[in-house]
Amino acid sequence: MRTVSQASPVTHNKKKSVFRKFTCFDWVLLLCLSIYALIILYPFYNALLVSIVPNTVYVRHRGLMLFPPEISFDAYAYTFRSSIIWTGYRNTLLITAGGVAYNMLLTVFLGYAFTKPIPGSRLFKFLIVFTMYFSGGLVPFYLLVKSLRLTNTLWAMILPTGINVMYMLVISSYFETLPASLEESAKLDGSGDFSTLFRIVLPLSLPLLATFTLYYAVDRWNEWYYAMLFARSTKNWPLQYVLRTIIQDANFLAQNYVPGQEAPDIKGDAIKMSAAIVSMAPILCLYPLLQKYFLTGLTLGAVKE
Amino acid sequence: MQVSRATKRRRLLRRIWANRWFYVMLLPGLCYFAVFKYAPLYGIQLAFKDYVLAGIEASPWNNFAHFRYMLFEQGFVPAFRNTLVISGMRILLGFPFPILLALFLDELVLPKYRRTVQTIYTFPHFLSWVLLAGLLQNLLGASGMVRKVAMLFSPQASETWNLLYDNDAYRWILVFTDIWKEAGWGAIIYLASIAGVDRSLYEAATIDGANRWQRIWSVTLPSIAPMIAIQFILRVGAAMEGGFDQVINTYTPPVYDKGDILDTYIYRLSFVRTSGVNLGFTTAVGLFKNVINFILLLMANSLTRALGQKTIL
Repeated sequence: MRTVSQASPVTHNKKKSVFRKFTCFDWVLLLCLSIYALIILYPFYNALLVSIVPNTVYVRHRGLMLFPPEISFDAYAYTFRSSIIWTGYRNTLLITAGGVAYNMLLTVFLGYAFTKPIPGSRLFKFLIVFTMYFSGGLVPFYLLVKSLRLTNTLWAMILPTGINVMYMLVISSYFETLPASLEESAKLDGSGDFSTLFRIVLPLSLPLLATFTLYYAVDRWNEWYYAMLFARSTKNWPLQYVLRTIIQDANFLAQNYVPGQEAPDIKGDAIKMSAAIVSMAPILCLYPLLQKYFLTGLTLGAVKE
Repeated sequence: MQVSRATKRRRLLRRIWANRWFYVMLLPGLCYFAVFKYAPLYGIQLAFKDYVLAGIEASPWNNFAHFRYMLFEQGFVPAFRNTLVISGMRILLGFPFPILLALFLDELVLPKYRRTVQTIYTFPHFLSWVLLAGLLQNLLGASGMVRKVAMLFSPQASETWNLLYDNDAYRWILVFTDIWKEAGWGAIIYLASIAGVDRSLYEAATIDGANRWQRIWSVTLPSIAPMIAIQFILRVGAAMEGGFDQVINTYTPPVYDKGDILDTYIYRLSFVRTSGVNLGFTTAVGLFKNVINFILLLMANSLTRALGQKTIL
């Protein structure tokens, strides 16, 4: 049984006979895991259904709907014509691009410097890990950002994100596993510390960097919390915050409708779900392609211990 | 040989100078922590002051009035209780689930299919609670699928029937939707741990005539027990976190009674209330929460260390 899940030459011969060797246990397992996969998928399928079935049909429907009895893309058209979705997209792209660059730069620098036995590094590390254990709380943080005059700017959604300590520690422990001889020989060739980092260390860590770039990107893409605290005017709202407002009140879109056009008579649910699907589209598209990096998790650091 | 103080200092300075570029690399990160993590600690003094608009320094001290008032504020005790109850339910139900999932996934002998379902399980982890709250409305809300199905069986599923407004159901909804979102992600660490188990143990068990259940029970589980223990301790250490993102996006006034946790309580009292906002009081509640949180984390930390595991602090 075991050999099948390992990628060895033996697997190939055995693979054909896998189903013949299936025991009752295997079928039950397969069934359970498949049902759970359906449970995970159903809410998404349901959202898609709600967004494409005309509301009049949806409201009258009784029982489980598995296939759309009628299809209309009015809700999407409505969502796409609302200007606030587009400013939301723009803001989120800016936050994601700027935020990830800022996050990765800080994280990589810190993680790399911590691999060096420089005086004071243990104290710095302690001070940084301490922030995972104790914080000032919501109100002092809010007053700080306000006093920095970041309120109602996109910076309020970028600058406070800085470094995720867990990510930094994993990256740092990975750097530590790289052979020291490579860095030493680069140094003998007259390479400075910065160019050693960029020319030797980072190219050797590309899969790791890809993983954490992705995690940071997802974190920034999903930004709504700082917007809730700090973004006053709708022109600074990121997509998730726009979505949040729409989900709480679908009429909100109507207020931001392009003037000169009459809002069509679609009721809330379809609009909410079309907005949800539009906002999740990029993650949905990238996820299957980059699943290798997404599924790494934080095990990169944990496995070695 | 005695090295004089001056020489020592010179050596240290030389070492610092030799590593100067590493300090330059440290600088932006340290600045970030100083500004966004340490500067707010200064504002904690508000917990002991009556906040006035002129600022933190201008606010007068109030002799622990906020802490004395806390027990009498009508929302505080329920919020504290809810935080602990919801956290407890999450640990009881949500903690074993990823382990089970990892064991099941590991036993599945179809590698490609396994990969596919695992990809599906992990997907919700990467979405925000904002979005998932929307999906939940469509399942459990007034026009949701659950109600449409329920109406087939009972005419009582009337127009106002909405599980998200139901005080009895709300906590369960929180716990199960959190499992739905995070279990796949949580299973990854156990899967990695299982992958690290010595294969010869399984072969030996098979030769001794163990069937698959027995192999799971007496090889896999004991092998990953240390990992389970560590994860459990860390989970309990985070008991003061009731899941702000999830609650704030899914709760409504009808379920404040059972669903309001300390974090949402602090947020609402600080920013949503239109009158009687007292930032000093909410800072005090935040401090109360953070101190308990800190103590729990320290205990968790020393426990993990006692188990012989590397800890980060």
